[in-house]
Amino acid sequence: MAGLLEVDRVNILCPDSGIRLPISRLYFCRHCLKLKSGQCVSHEVDSHYCPNCLENMPSAEAKIKKNRCGNCFDCPSCRHTLSTRATSIAIPNPNDPAKPTTKKAYYLACGFCRWTSRDIGMPDKHIASGAWQVPDNPYVDRESLTVFSNMKMGSFVDQGRRMNELLDYYRQLAQREKQERERKRISRRRSYFHLQEKYLSQVSTRRRSGALLSALTNLSVKESEQNQNLSVKGSESVDDVEKLPPEIYNEPVNLASVCTITQRLSQPEYQPHYIKQLYPKHKHLLIKRSQRCRECEHNLSKPEFNPSSIRFKIQLVALHHVPEVRIFSIPNLYFQQESQVTLMLINAVENQTKVTLQPMPSSDHDVATASVTLPGSDLVLAAKDDTAEYDDMNSDYPEFKDDPSLVHFRKANKLAFFVKVTPEKAVGDVIIALKVKYNYRDMAAQFRRTDEDKDQEKEPPIVWLEYECTINLGKLVDK
Amino acid sequence: MANTHGHKPSVKIGAGAVVCVEAEIRGDVTIGPRTVIHPKARIVAEGGPIVIGECNLIEEQALIINPKVGEKIDKNSGTMTIGSHNVFEVGCRCEALKVGNNNVVEAKALVGRNTELSNGCIIGADCEITSKETLPENTVIFGQSCNRRVQAERPPPQTLQLDFLMKILPNYHHLKKATKPKADK
Repeated sequence: MAGLLEVDRVNILCPDSGIRLPISRLYFCRHCLKLKSGQCVSHEVDSHYCPNCLENMPSAEAKIKKNRCGNCFDCPSCRHTLSTRATSIAIPNPNDPAKPTTKKAYYLACGFCRWTSRDIGMPDKHIASGAWQVPDNPYVDRESLTVFSNMKMGSFVDQGRRMNELLDYYRQLAQREKQERERKRISRRRSYFHLQEKYLSQVSTRRRSGALLSALTNLSVKESEQNQNLSVKGSESVDDVEKLPPEIYNEPVNLASVCTITQRLSQPEYQPHYIKQLYPKHKHLLIKRSQRCRECEHNLSKPEFNPSSIRFKIQLVALHHVPEVRIFSIPNLYFQQESQVTLMLINAVENQTKVTLQPMPSSDHDVATASVTLPGSDLVLAAKDDTAEYDDMNSDYPEFKDDPSLVHFRKANKLAFFVKVTPEKAVGDVIIALKVKYNYRDMAAQFRRTDEDKDQEKEPPIVWLEYECTINLGKLVDK
Repeated sequence: MANTHGHKPSVKIGAGAVVCVEAEIRGDVTIGPRTVIHPKARIVAEGGPIVIGECNLIEEQALIINPKVGEKIDKNSGTMTIGSHNVFEVGCRCEALKVGNNNVVEAKALVGRNTELSNGCIIGADCEITSKETLPENTVIFGQSCNRRVQAERPPPQTLQLDFLMKILPNYHHLKKATKPKADK
């Protein structure tokens, strides 16, 4: 039963998006009664958390902090997590100069590449967390220019406020566009003409039209005001570029002190040349996402809020609702010879399910490379019982009259049955396609009932659902 | 424990060294004072003698081997020298002829015959280094593709661990006795 590891062997066609996925990658919407793939759902951000300290962060705070954790750092050299280490140093006690007292000094260190904060000259801090300062973006803050002028990275004299200017300009532009869009939506075409006709006589329209029009156009005066303020100085190209230092031509590169491209680009604000300028960055936050069906807007997958919990509040996956087909055993498959393959059906719900297997009608884009003879009658699957593993197994199930030429064995909610496969193509994998029809007890139907039906139906209705499935049986064996 | 077969091979253990009986030491091996050798460590001096300095830490399943190359055993050039304050972590394998001080060979690492470790080098876990070179000081080799970088200072010595082990190991293991160094004739 390698089916648990090789999940791509049995693929189900998702009706909306047309892609074939194993059952473990599909969702089942209880309200639309349809299978959904990752492309048929809308993904939403549920919560932000730090992968190291597992601290949850509300979205507003995450946005301000630029999706970075406040406490945790990444090694600039290998981008793993930095840990805080302590050493005790002996400093002379201010009260009693003869006796030195030991104080703890903390520094950041990477466990993987052995980078420490002392490598770049950051002094050790005296408190365990919260003291580490990361230099600011030089394009945003003018005050940080002094730090960078020491690093010989060129002059940023005019760049100080540049980023803020650009951000403000684009923010205003976006706001103006939004207002225009809203105004267009509200009033399609406000023609002042029909208002004039209604309220003013024909004669005075020509005289009054100016006044009325000007009164009605007062609304757009604000726009023109904004028009005046909205401009920004474009980037100017400079003719003389800073020349390369002459050492580049004379001296060999010291690979040990120069950053790699990955290290350099991981800090796009400063892009340091030398590893002595690599500062640690705050750790990036991860998100938990929730998924929603695009048709009925119900949630299909919603994780728990706690970052250290991997469970779900809502988990409408196909594996829990739809009977699964697995390959049980495959004999040697020869070209154009009929062989008997054992497949297994597994019931996922807690009531009895009837399954009918039907052949797929052949079409132009056929993926099947073998023909298959399916059992004609319905297969009945027992209910899934979570306590079954604790009972002693009695392997005969007298309530199901199983045809021994059809059914291999039955155990709890599983049923192994035979199908006959004849490979039709001499090369490539043997793929069979079939349609699985099963009856599903629609528990969510009560939410769709109207008031009149409420008196009539007490039982959840049983509907027949189906899905198309392709099974890859592996390669042919040479005779 | 002097080897009664053959002529000279013997194990000389310095004062204060903690060498567990379960450690396999074969051949002409000199162990300096205050070195800790865990049980199931293996020090095999096949192709020549091994001299281990002081305050080293050789952990379980570490293999320090001076392998026999061909048929000749050349005593003079085949001596493997290991300095002081080195750490050989679990499962590593070291065949280098010269190992300096303050090096760390991490778990499952391999140091080949032609490499020489200077001082302060760290060979990361599962990294293999077999190139014919002397690693510059304070080199760190890490990662799946054995990236290199130079760190600013050498790794801190494991004195705390050594003290702890020297107290605890004798409680649970029999130790090999320290031998007086043989007087040269």
